Amino acid sequence: MFLRLLFESFRRQKRRKVAALLAIALGMSITTAMIAVGAGIGDKVSEELRASGANLRVTPIEDTLDVNLGGVELKPASEGAFIRESDLPKMRGVFWGHNILGFAPFLIQEESFTEHTRHFEAELIGTYFAQPITYGKETFPTGVRSVNRWWQVEGEWPQDYSSWPQGSNIPQVLAGSKLAQQSGLAIGDTIAVAGKKLRVSGILNGGGDEDRAIVAPLHIVQQILGRPNTVDRVMVSALTKPEDAFGRRNPNTLTPADRDRWYCSPYANSIALQISEVLPNVRVEQIRQVEQNQGKVLSRVSGMMLLLTVAALLASGLAVSAAMAATILERRQEVGLMKSLGASNSTVASLFLTEAGLMAIGGGLVGFLAGAVIAHRIGERIFGSSITVQPVILAVVVFAALLVTFLGSAGAVRKAMQFDPAVVLRGDA
Amino acid sequence: MSRGILFLRLLVKAAWVRKDRALTALLSAAVVATIATAALTVYSDLENKMSREFRGFGANVVVSKPRGTLSTDEIAAVRNVLDGKDAALAARMQAVPVAYAIGTAPDGTRVVVGGTDTAAFRDLNSWWSVRTAGRSNGNALVGVRAAEKLSSNGDPFLIGYGTRQTTIVPEIVFTSGSDDDSRIYLDMNTFSTLTGVQPTTVLLRVEGRPREVREAIETLTSSLPALEVKPVRQITLTQTTVVGKTGSVVLASSAVVVILIMLCMAATLTSSVLERRKDFAVMKALGASNREVNLLFAAEASLLALMGAAGGFVVGSGIAWWIGKSNFDAAILPQPALLLPVLAGSALLALLASTAPLRLLNRIQPAGILRGE
Repeated sequence: MFLRLLFESFRRQKRRKVAALLAIALGMSITTAMIAVGAGIGDKVSEELRASGANLRVTPIEDTLDVNLGGVELKPASEGAFIRESDLPKMRGVFWGHNILGFAPFLIQEESFTEHTRHFEAELIGTYFAQPITYGKETFPTGVRSVNRWWQVEGEWPQDYSSWPQGSNIPQVLAGSKLAQQSGLAIGDTIAVAGKKLRVSGILNGGGDEDRAIVAPLHIVQQILGRPNTVDRVMVSALTKPEDAFGRRNPNTLTPADRDRWYCSPYANSIALQISEVLPNVRVEQIRQVEQNQGKVLSRVSGMMLLLTVAALLASGLAVSAAMAATILERRQEVGLMKSLGASNSTVASLFLTEAGLMAIGGGLVGFLAGAVIAHRIGERIFGSSITVQPVILAVVVFAALLVTFLGSAGAVRKAMQFDPAVVLRGDA
Repeated sequence: MSRGILFLRLLVKAAWVRKDRALTALLSAAVVATIATAALTVYSDLENKMSREFRGFGANVVVSKPRGTLSTDEIAAVRNVLDGKDAALAARMQAVPVAYAIGTAPDGTRVVVGGTDTAAFRDLNSWWSVRTAGRSNGNALVGVRAAEKLSSNGDPFLIGYGTRQTTIVPEIVFTSGSDDDSRIYLDMNTFSTLTGVQPTTVLLRVEGRPREVREAIETLTSSLPALEVKPVRQITLTQTTVVGKTGSVVLASSAVVVILIMLCMAATLTSSVLERRKDFAVMKALGASNREVNLLFAAEASLLALMGAAGGFVVGSGIAWWIGKSNFDAAILPQPALLLPVLAGSALLALLASTAPLRLLNRIQPAGILRGE
């Protein structure tokens, strides 16, 4: 009998049910979309913030002080320690290796260059542009093109040579824009350094010291300087968790359990510690300007989305509750009829609440699908990569749908039952 | 009783007799207005609030002289360059001149020494982690690597330049994670007494929205042709992307929320009007024309929607204010310009939602409805 009542109610009141179902589905798609976007925005903005460059700096521990003045490193090359290039892929193998988005090694020295008959002094910077690196079974490209994303090149990016090119091929390099302006260098010019020839394939505009330098593939610079397998410093770009009070603690003072938790959180400091464990004799520091400020910006963005999400959820909850209350209040004649035919309050309530529950589940499912599509589209349109909707959100959404429909229905059912059936049936209430 | 008064009485009675129904309509409009106001108010101030967060990144423009040192007049010109253009931006701009020289420690170690307004420089580099040793007579900001190399036990040490020397008390030791860690910064007076070198660079922090920063850089470039003006691209670029994309996300998700809630409300309102077909039939049976009935329903709906929307505007502005206060530590002020669109939008929505079903009812004979068909 109960099932029949339920079934008939859906069959005979299609219009009413569709309106309520629509309201629930709409409210729940807001819930899904906002939760997904709110949860995904941290990662997305974090990736965008990586455009501000490396956040970890690896230098040799035995190194002497940098004597960098006006963008020129004045420290003699003979001075100071170095890092072995062949060790670098090991960074990918640390606990948070997959959070290391890229790294760029640098080997820098002041050199004299000749172009035709002109001579000029400039820094020679050796680095990776997009060098494929192999660690274990995976190969991934890394270098300044992914780490220093603000570098702009007019012309072509040079190749990363593994050794000096054979025959008549001349290695390609970039000339800094300021240097090109001052020394009259242009794309296609051939320059000579230490008896070796290089060809300018592009003009680099980076806004920093590199604008006054010649930027060349690392292996070419190693050959020119006679320092194989050597780099001076490595800039690492890693996805990190903004530093909190726990992240700032010294791991050596923590209890073993806390230390494990610290080590297994992607704080800049714990990734730095892990890198220094695999690379011998290096000092790894967070570039505080980038790291500290990113955390701040990120927490503001996520905080704002969280608050907006809460506001949107409250609104959609209210909307759905109101919709449910309205549909039930309109049905007080039905309640009156059932009661006058002898139905108890609990029977009436359970019928209405079961109906509401069924609609909540249906509306929740439809709303979840629609909301997932919306979140996906927002991600694609704005960040160029989709926002994944975690399946756990489905459970949250269905639960939320049940909660708000029950809240909306329960009050209305109670109110509908308070009326005297006779009065309701007469149409006076 | 005149028609006007009757109309008003019908209007008030309809709301009064069925309070819950009126409340639903009122609440619906209020929820739409609240969320629309909150989201749009936050969005309208977002660029400002987010850009403020980028002040922590420090200098975003570097002004330097390609050859020679900057004269006091040139430094003053840099400081005052925005004064005539944008007073608010000029007031927030910070300019810190810096001079550099290479000093030597007694053991022959070479170290880069900078001269600047140390307090302003520290403020500009707000990300530094600073350790103070508790001495009162500190006179320099010492980079952590320089401190380790030159004074591993924290004792005062000598730095020479040419024939002159000065004693550095490593009271304030900072960690930056950049080349600055190998440097020592002295206040300008001590520095020029030691080296006689004048500033070559002015670090500028232009605190504003991406467009304002761009315009400030253009102004600087055009009004100081002898100097080199370089934006710190990684900071300006990041600011532009992050602020832009955050704004787009807020706008897109607000649009989704507002549109869906409007649809949700429209569904509720439509269905509640359809439930009133008996009222409708009685009115028509008593001789009301279609126009009069439509007018009554529309007036009732828009009146309730306007009241709801006005309340929603207040609540929504409150939510935006609270979001600003709790997330950005600065209130987001209500936008009076939003009031009219919000009210008009809600009234329009209510009109559409409540009159659309009437067209359906107009086709039916009142007798049929009253009979219960």
